[in-house]
Amino acid sequence: MAKRTSDNIRLGTFVLAGLLVLVLLLYMIGKNEHLFGATYMLKARFFNARGLVKGNNVRFSGIQVGTVRKITIEENTQIEIVMSIDRKMRQVIRKDAVVAIGTDGLVGDKVVDITPVSLTSRLAQEGDTLITRASANLTNMLDTLDQSSRDIAVVAAELKITAQRINRSAIWRLLDDSTVPEDVKATLFNIRKASSRVSGIAGKLDEMVNDVQNGQGAAGTILKDSLFASNIRLAGDKIYSASETADSLVVLLKNVADNVHNGVVEKNGPVHALLYDTTIAQKLNISLDNIQKGTDGFNQSMEALKHNFLLRGYFRKQEKKKISK
Amino acid sequence: MPQAISIKLFLSEAGDLAQFAGRFFRQCFRPPYEVAEFIRQCFVIGYRSLGLVSLTTFIMGLVLTMQLRPSMVAYGVASQIPAIVGIAIVREIGPVITALIFAGKIGSSIGAELGSMKVTEQIDAMEVSGTNPFRYLVVTRILAATLMLPVLVMLGDAIALYGAYLGVNIRGITSFNLFWSQVFDNLSFSDVLPAFIKSYFFGFAVGTVGCYKGYSSRKGTEGVGRSANSAVVVSSVVIFIIDLLTVQIADAMGLN
Repeated sequence: MAKRTSDNIRLGTFVLAGLLVLVLLLYMIGKNEHLFGATYMLKARFFNARGLVKGNNVRFSGIQVGTVRKITIEENTQIEIVMSIDRKMRQVIRKDAVVAIGTDGLVGDKVVDITPVSLTSRLAQEGDTLITRASANLTNMLDTLDQSSRDIAVVAAELKITAQRINRSAIWRLLDDSTVPEDVKATLFNIRKASSRVSGIAGKLDEMVNDVQNGQGAAGTILKDSLFASNIRLAGDKIYSASETADSLVVLLKNVADNVHNGVVEKNGPVHALLYDTTIAQKLNISLDNIQKGTDGFNQSMEALKHNFLLRGYFRKQEKKKISK
Repeated sequence: MPQAISIKLFLSEAGDLAQFAGRFFRQCFRPPYEVAEFIRQCFVIGYRSLGLVSLTTFIMGLVLTMQLRPSMVAYGVASQIPAIVGIAIVREIGPVITALIFAGKIGSSIGAELGSMKVTEQIDAMEVSGTNPFRYLVVTRILAATLMLPVLVMLGDAIALYGAYLGVNIRGITSFNLFWSQVFDNLSFSDVLPAFIKSYFFGFAVGTVGCYKGYSSRKGTEGVGRSANSAVVVSSVVIFIIDLLTVQIADAMGLN
């Protein structure tokens, strides 16, 4: 009988242990789904439930505080969700808290996020409807990202072209040239030297201007002497009249030149004949030859005359006159 | 036509089994109740099976976790191992492995026990002495098997999950609290309740098939061995068929 009793104790322990595990399992699951313990209801309205289902978690600033109890469609446009929230959160969640539907991780379950806004608003009561916010939609985000990346591609292409242009440009070569700084330095040095010289020159110019004002030197004389000025005017007048005379002279000269020209151009004229007629030129040559010959003969005749006794006396007298002179 | 004969045999066997189950239900709710024998059978069937069930489910949880780990790591979701192992154990592995072990141990022992009693004509002697042998032998055993298997399944689940916890910690480091909160976060009533309810059917099937095979054994000691053997085989097959039906029913009810 004692064995029977101990067997029964063991059996009882075994059965209780099994039931305990079952109860524990159900309780843990129930606790996660907020089936036990005091809760209160809050509502929120959305235009899009985005796949939220009954039993999804509700989080307040990321802490698990409840579950979605009911999802109903209101007036064909809005979705009303009823959340059962841990009663302890009554002291925390305020009327102006913002409700949004989010995602647990990137591709996880949907969750309802309640975000606190202020500390001054009144606490949310049983059955209150909270403000909602359309949360960032992954699809919209991807759309925007796609648009942005396309824009960036265009900008990048243009930047590339610009950069290539800059690379090829003279300015870039100038900037890239390592000797430029040296040159610029040298140039600046020269400019500085030149400017110091210029300042010296300016001082001298100043002196000269002073001298001129005082009537010293040639320029001063020109500028200050009134007699000289009248002389200059007189000279100017004379130059003027001389130039007028020269004018008429030029006219006369032109006439002469015209006449000469006409003479040359006119075929029957003597000048033209002299200049352009070859037969006349030959004839002239021959004539000149003959004259040469005639002159030679005349010279011989004259020489002969000198030595002629009749005329020898005259020539001797002539020579004596020459010597006495 | 051996096929026709075997089909005929199968159908008549199924009919007999159904009749046997109907007989159990008729006798079950009618006094006098054999309470003391029922409790003794619970002890034998339930408590005595705990060691075997604990060992197998522990190993199952540990091995499942370690087998899952490489592919989970390859997909980059090593942190989800507790969730997946928890769901697998509670929904399927725990009930089915426990029921199969239970069928192997209890189904065969019931079949052998009742079969030997049958062939040694103890059952007939009982009937003569005024005790209802069906009520004393069969009803107590089927009831005990039906009620004890769910308890074993629950304890087996817990032990398998503990094995899984150890399995997770062989390669990685997961705190005890994190492991359990991950397991429970991913479980829901629709995971636990169908599994729990189907384990009653598993227990009932093991008890009924074992008792039927033992009660209807004949041809001497040779028949005892055969009835013990076929009790295990048939109850294992029935367990899988029930599993198949449960998953369909749970799916149809929206509990999946």
